[in-house]
Formats: sequence, C-alpha cells, structure tokens
Amino acid sequence: MVDFAAMTQAVIRGDSDAAFELTQRALSEGIPAKRILEEGLVPGLRNVGDLFETGEYFLPELIVSGDAVSKALELLEPILGKSDVPLMGKYLIGTVKGDVHDLGKNIVVMMLKGNGWEVTDLGVDVSIEAVCSAVAEGDYHILGLSSLLTMTMPNVKKTIDALKAAGLRDRIKVMVGGAPTTAEWAQKIGADAYAKDGPTAAKVAAQLVGKS
Amino acid sequence: MAKMTGLQRVLTALNIQEPDVVPHFERVAKTVREAILPGGTEEEFIEHMDMDGIRFADRTQSWSYTQVDASKHIQRDQWGGMVRFTTEDNPICMAPAIKTEKDLDTYTAPDPDEPWRYEYLQRLVKRFKGERAIVVGATDIFALGRENFLGDVGYFRAMVKNPDLIDRANAIILDYQLRYVKNCIELGADIIWINGDWAMTEKPMVSRRFTERFLAPPLKRLVDFAHSLGTPCIKHTDGNIWPIYDVIIGTGVDGLHPIDPMAGMDIGEAKEKFGHSVCLCGNVSCAFSLVSGSVEDVRQETREVIRKAGKGGGLICMSSNSVHSGVKPDNYVAMVKAIREFGRYPLSLD
Repeated sequence: MVDFAAMTQAVIRGDSDAAFELTQRALSEGIPAKRILEEGLVPGLRNVGDLFETGEYFLPELIVSGDAVSKALELLEPILGKSDVPLMGKYLIGTVKGDVHDLGKNIVVMMLKGNGWEVTDLGVDVSIEAVCSAVAEGDYHILGLSSLLTMTMPNVKKTIDALKAAGLRDRIKVMVGGAPTTAEWAQKIGADAYAKDGPTAAKVAAQLVGKS
Repeated sequence: MAKMTGLQRVLTALNIQEPDVVPHFERVAKTVREAILPGGTEEEFIEHMDMDGIRFADRTQSWSYTQVDASKHIQRDQWGGMVRFTTEDNPICMAPAIKTEKDLDTYTAPDPDEPWRYEYLQRLVKRFKGERAIVVGATDIFALGRENFLGDVGYFRAMVKNPDLIDRANAIILDYQLRYVKNCIELGADIIWINGDWAMTEKPMVSRRFTERFLAPPLKRLVDFAHSLGTPCIKHTDGNIWPIYDVIIGTGVDGLHPIDPMAGMDIGEAKEKFGHSVCLCGNVSCAFSLVSGSVEDVRQETREVIRKAGKGGGLICMSSNSVHSGVKPDNYVAMVKAIREFGRYPLSLD
C-alpha cells in the first residue's frame, strides 16, 4: 500500500533516501509516475513553499527538500519523459545579460521541476539574442528572467522589448524576479507576472497556465 | 566645534558620538569617478570629494587570481573556485573550490602572509594615514564559505546534513582572515569592513538557529580579534535583517551597513532600536534615487537620512550599497554636498 503522506513528509523533512525508497516502492506496486508526483512529491514541495513563506523554512531547508524531490525524480523522469506533454508545461529560464548570480534562479528551477515543469535553463549572463533564439526555436509556455543586481534590471526590459521587436512576445508568457525587483516594476516593463522567490515562482507559473 | 580630520570624524561616529559633521566615505565605480574627475586616480578622487575614508575590498586588492578564459573574464581565485569579473571589476563566483568533503583532506589554503597582498594598503597608508580612515575589507566567513569555498547549494545543504563540513570550512577561512586582519592592522588599517550578505530582500538566508550556530561565532571571533588590536569593525549585509539584528550586534560590531531600504529597513527605526549600540552606515538608495532620481530628490533623501539617524552621532552617511556604474554622477555629488549641508553638528533638521 503506497503511503503518499509519508512521501510528502519525506520531502518536507528533506529526507532524500526516504523519498527515493517510497517512490521506488510505489513504482514497484504499479502506481503511475504522474500520480506519484502529483499526490506524493508536489504536495511536499508546496508545503515547503508555504513553510518558506511563513518564515519557518529558509534557504537550507529549501535546498534539502529540493534534493529529496530530485532524488525521487531520478526514478520518475525516465518514465515521465516518455510522454509528449509535460505535466505543467515547458519553462525557459535565464539570468539576464551582465548578471552572473544564479542562486535565486537555481532555486526557481528546483521548485519548478519538482512541481512538474520541464525546464530549460539557459544559465547566467544570457544575451538578449540567445533568449530570442531560444524562444523562437522552442515551444515554451513561460520565459523566466532573473536579475539580482540593480544595474542589470534594465536588461530585463531590453529583453522583453527585443521579444516584441522580433514578433515573439505573444508566443510566451514572461515572468520576472530577483532580489532588487518588485511587482510594480515588473508591470511597468511589460512582464506578465512577478515572483519574489522560488516557491512563489512555482505558484505563479501554475496560475499563468491555468493549472493552479 | 574644532574641525576634525576624516579619520577623527569616522572614529567618533563609530563611538556613537557627534563629530563636527556627519562623515562619508564610499566605494565609487570607475565610470562615475571618471565622469566627476576625468583622468584621476581613485586616491585623487578621494581627495577631490574630500571623503573621510577610503575603503577597498580584499577580493579585488589582496587575493590572487589565475587566468582561465580571458575572453569570458573567467579566472580561478586563490581558494580554488572559478569567478567571473563583471564590468564593475567585481569577481562573482561561478563554481566553488570544494566539490566534495574529500577535497578538504588535501586542501591547502592560501597564505595570507605573502607581502604583495599589502602593497595597495601600504600605498594608502603612505598617502592618507592619520588624515582619512583607511577601511580594509575582509570578506565575512559565511559569505566566503558560501560563495567561494563550498558554493551556495553545497553550503546550505551541509548546514542541514553535514554541519561538521561547515565547521571545517569556517576554521580554514577564519584562520586566514585572522592572520590577514592582523597584518592589515599592523600595517596601518584603521577599520575592518566585514563584507558579506546574511539576508535576502524578504528575510535572512538562514534561520535564527543556524545564524547563531554557524554565522555569528566566526564573525565574533574576527571582531573580538580586531578589537584586541584596537581596531573597530563595520559589518555589511544587504537584506532584511530585522529578525536577526540582535545576533549581528551581539558579535560586537561597531558599525552596520547599509540598513537596506530595498528590504524595508528604515534607518529611523534602526536608530531607535539599535542606534545607541552600533553606528549606522547608510542608506541613500542606490537602487532608486541615486540612479533615477533628480539632484533635488537625492538632496532631500540625504537630509532625511541625517534627520532620522544623525542625532547624537553614530551615523556615517553613504549609499545603500555602493556607488555603482548605474548611479548618475551628478546625483552622487549631490549626496556628498547634502551631507555637508545638513550634516553639521549640532543638527537642526526637525
């Protein structure tokens, strides 16, 4: 008998071994990978997001919970990958030109993957041209742009403007975030959504594609 | 009140007493310096603006680097990690020195006693000693461990799963920093500036329990050591530190920078809560007013910072992080002028 509650608790505790073993057991009992993700792991990660939001969890707890989900995904991804359509959608992400900080972006990636997104990470210091090319060539639902420095914030707007100029803006929703950014600023530069941290990013992304 | 030297002004403020005028010093990006004093060196700029001190970072002036990829500005830092130099000449970490715990068994730390590390400091001592405060950067043990040594993810993971690894890393870094600080003080440093973030915009990076367990003890060791050699310390951390400010102050730091307005830190509230025990250093916004405000906006914001936090001394007025390349040169000049206009003691701003 699969214990989804125990799986959820393993994620909340950041217990990678337990998350892996419980996932393995569930698969051996014939439970579909999608159900394991939706009923065992994602609720754990959402709980962790809530604990982060309420100030009980901080970055270390977020990291080890993400580790637990990643460990379980080692078993699930080969199975989930056989499906043509990812659970939540396809997400393209990068830190804008001039900015090489990646902690915030990496946490967003971790939270998105754990919540069932297929994520393509362009890395740090991504040129406007590289973002436009990736959007043009892929079939992504959301583009996430991160800026951790005040001085690189203008490059977020420039990237959005370049998408417009290239006729690509309507193809993709744009989410922005990063330490110095605000919701007001996001609206002002023409982004579709703003997320202040990783757990919020997962929630906002789900809302943007109508799957919250 | 008799006119003070810049050094006297800064030390008086750090002692929570009133100097003749609110002191000011700042790290200013080369592009901004160049717009204000074309062709001038950093030292000439300090004199041109009549700053009360000069601050430099250990990362840029006393760490060694080896070239990895010149076209991408990637170098290996002295700890063994990979960094990339930004257009501001700041080395930003890309990959940490320690990948697995086993790496520590054979790890050789850099040698802080190499004389070349102190050449820049000695130049400043020769030029400014006794007149302007010589403020030497020493990267915070947590920040160095998290960024350069173990990497963010590795460090945070180890806090939960392998605290011994953090203790080992902290010991290596602290040993280096204690010897570095000793050398700097012996050569003429007036103040140690301990640089490294403990908080994000929303909240501290780690819980109060972890802050007390991992972050505060090595900082306290460094501060106690500098104090034993008669030298005050200023701690820099961005972010919202309201939940842990008492832990930071408990380490004995003399000054706290920048009282981050982006993170909702109001300098008036800070003055009320802890301005009696620590000198406040900040906090004219380098995210908004200095970047996109008018000269008058900056003048008024600077006045407001002095009004809120200057009473009784204990204020060094500066930007909310640094004067980076996005700051309008005229706005920086306006801030300095406003400090001189409104910062003369006794203050009469209410």
